[in-house]
Amino acid sequence: MESLSATSASGVLLDLSGVLILLLAFACLASKLFNRYVVYYGAQSAVLSFAAATAAVAFHSAELWILAALTLAVKGIAIPVAARRLLVTRLALKRDAAMSTGLSTSLIAGGALTAFAYLVTRPALLPHGTVAAAVVPLSTAVILLGSLSMVVRRHTVAQLIGWLVVENGVFLGAITLVATFPFIVEAGIFLDIVAGVLIMVVFVSGLTRQLAEASAAELRELRG
Amino acid sequence: MTALAILIALGPLSGSAAAIAGARARLAGVAQAAGALITFGCSLALLVLLEGRAPLAGWDGFLYVDPLGGFFLMTVAGVTLLAALGSIGYVTAQEDSGELSSFQVRLYFTFFGLFASLMLAALETGNLGLLFVLIEASTLASAALVGLEGRARSLEAAWKYIIISSLGVTIALAGTLFLFYSGSALHLGSNLGLTWPYLLVHARALAPQSLRLAFLLAVVGYGTKVGLAPMHTWLPDAHAEAPSPASAMLSAALLNTGMYAIIRFLAIAHGRLGTTYPRAVLLSFGFASIVIGALFMVRRGNFKRLFAYSSVEHMGIIAVALGFGGILGLYGALLQTLNHALAKAVLFLSSGDVSLRYRTKEASEVTGLLVAVPVTGGALLLATFAVLGSPPFGLFLSELTIVRAGFAYGSPVFPLLLLALLGLAFVAFARTTAGMVTGSPPAQLASPYRSRAAVAVTAAPLVLGLAVLLLLGLWIPAGLDAVLRHSIGAIG
Repeated sequence: MESLSATSASGVLLDLSGVLILLLAFACLASKLFNRYVVYYGAQSAVLSFAAATAAVAFHSAELWILAALTLAVKGIAIPVAARRLLVTRLALKRDAAMSTGLSTSLIAGGALTAFAYLVTRPALLPHGTVAAAVVPLSTAVILLGSLSMVVRRHTVAQLIGWLVVENGVFLGAITLVATFPFIVEAGIFLDIVAGVLIMVVFVSGLTRQLAEASAAELRELRG
Repeated sequence: MTALAILIALGPLSGSAAAIAGARARLAGVAQAAGALITFGCSLALLVLLEGRAPLAGWDGFLYVDPLGGFFLMTVAGVTLLAALGSIGYVTAQEDSGELSSFQVRLYFTFFGLFASLMLAALETGNLGLLFVLIEASTLASAALVGLEGRARSLEAAWKYIIISSLGVTIALAGTLFLFYSGSALHLGSNLGLTWPYLLVHARALAPQSLRLAFLLAVVGYGTKVGLAPMHTWLPDAHAEAPSPASAMLSAALLNTGMYAIIRFLAIAHGRLGTTYPRAVLLSFGFASIVIGALFMVRRGNFKRLFAYSSVEHMGIIAVALGFGGILGLYGALLQTLNHALAKAVLFLSSGDVSLRYRTKEASEVTGLLVAVPVTGGALLLATFAVLGSPPFGLFLSELTIVRAGFAYGSPVFPLLLLALLGLAFVAFARTTAGMVTGSPPAQLASPYRSRAAVAVTAAPLVLGLAVLLLLGLWIPAGLDAVLRHSIGAIG
């Protein structure tokens, strides 16, 4: 696998997709409405699928094409549509106010984490001029932002979306860093995500039924 | 040998198949135990066959079993057998008393088999990507077990478990990516290039900076599954809320599977980075876990939480032993893995019997176990001494080896600190369990089992586990010794 240069057409497109994915991760972090999370996540996955297609053209890889199609179908369409129907509509979830920090604090923390991602990955780790050097800090930042929204948001649905954002961040890194995961592994990762979302949705519905409000803030029976 | 490896991974699915076909608890449990017995037998046979031969490899590196993998397979298969035997009595009693519906019973055995099978498969693959896939899948299967009872508490524990573990394992995937990236110079185009034996051989060509990041991410990520502090927060809740045989599987099988993944990364890191950096990482997380585990054991309360914190402590001890390194440290770490798995399986299985009989998980409400239920009480008492590292049980030997490794490695501060923390853990743990086994039992205790056979099958894994623990404390069979030495060679 040769590295793509950052100035090639596909390099620029990948870079751009990375930036968009980061912005959408910020949007998820800053949003307060459940249906917005789902929309932002779907949009982020669609951009990720575009990035995978770009890499597929650049590397002439049939596997990456399948990956791009799978990403669009599963993460861009199926999961958001199902999550919307199962969680937002059926459980009548609207505003998510359960945050452990203020909105502005979490956004500032998000900015700091993005800077940290650049600090850690940029200088020595990656050769300059390759697209990986541009995109890997972005994907690291997306991973950190997803984790941050899992930490500051107390609602189970928000935590689920946060995990999916982290997963997207890892995928973005995978496309540019490796591009050669065996297909069976990629398929396995997809299967895990789908199964994970299914099981988590069962738990979210169960918890919502039990607690009337599936807020992890209420989850404080188990301690110590 | 390939057929054996396949049989090992498929064996536990017998319980799942029986449950899906609609069997009731007793039949599904017997099917589960039979499958687990086949798996355990095959894992022993595989270990014997591997002796003095090249590792079993195939399918482009997707299948890879060397003595280290075989050792973990044997450990996990043994625990699965004990837990499957324990499941027969426990789940049948729960079904008879109406605490679990027949649907829940079928769910239990379906996911129990799946969980065991996925862990065993994870130990058989050489591909680091597939390792992630299987470990994440085993998380999902076991989360269903944790939330099985469907109460608010168990759902909460299951949620915490699934969300924290999934995030952790995803971070480990990021670590895997950086590991592959550190191998850019190797042009890892083929599937074979993404397997750990290949990376181990070519460790010198890896880029040290991204390898360092990869190792750290892997320890944090898979360490979440192992229960290393500060990523351990899911562990006590999940262990306390899962049905007791499933808790035994979590503590004695799942944590070890996570540790196996860390050991694989450690081997590669050793090959390129030397010992200083991995040692710093492992000693930090290890001691943090021992401190957290020991401190939280001081609190009296739910006895299953006590056992869970003891698992955190023991995983910390194993991480510290890996950090000490050298032949002594690695030998101690592996021996400790096996001994801890046996002792903790016995403890959790006896806790299942206790909670069925006393209808509580609070240690203060349990008294007079030795009088009321001599077998379980005795097993609990002996397993307590075993898990705390008293002679003549196996853990005494392995912990002694680890402390010796600490002194051999140089600074006496670490092994002395370890000894002090072990002392604290001893007092904290024994204080609670001593209160449970002594005294006089409450007036009326109804037996939850309907037949003598159910009582016998509940006692069987306890006696079996303790017997092996005692044996390992007195004598390490030559075969096991050879396997451990070969495994150490693979870690380097």
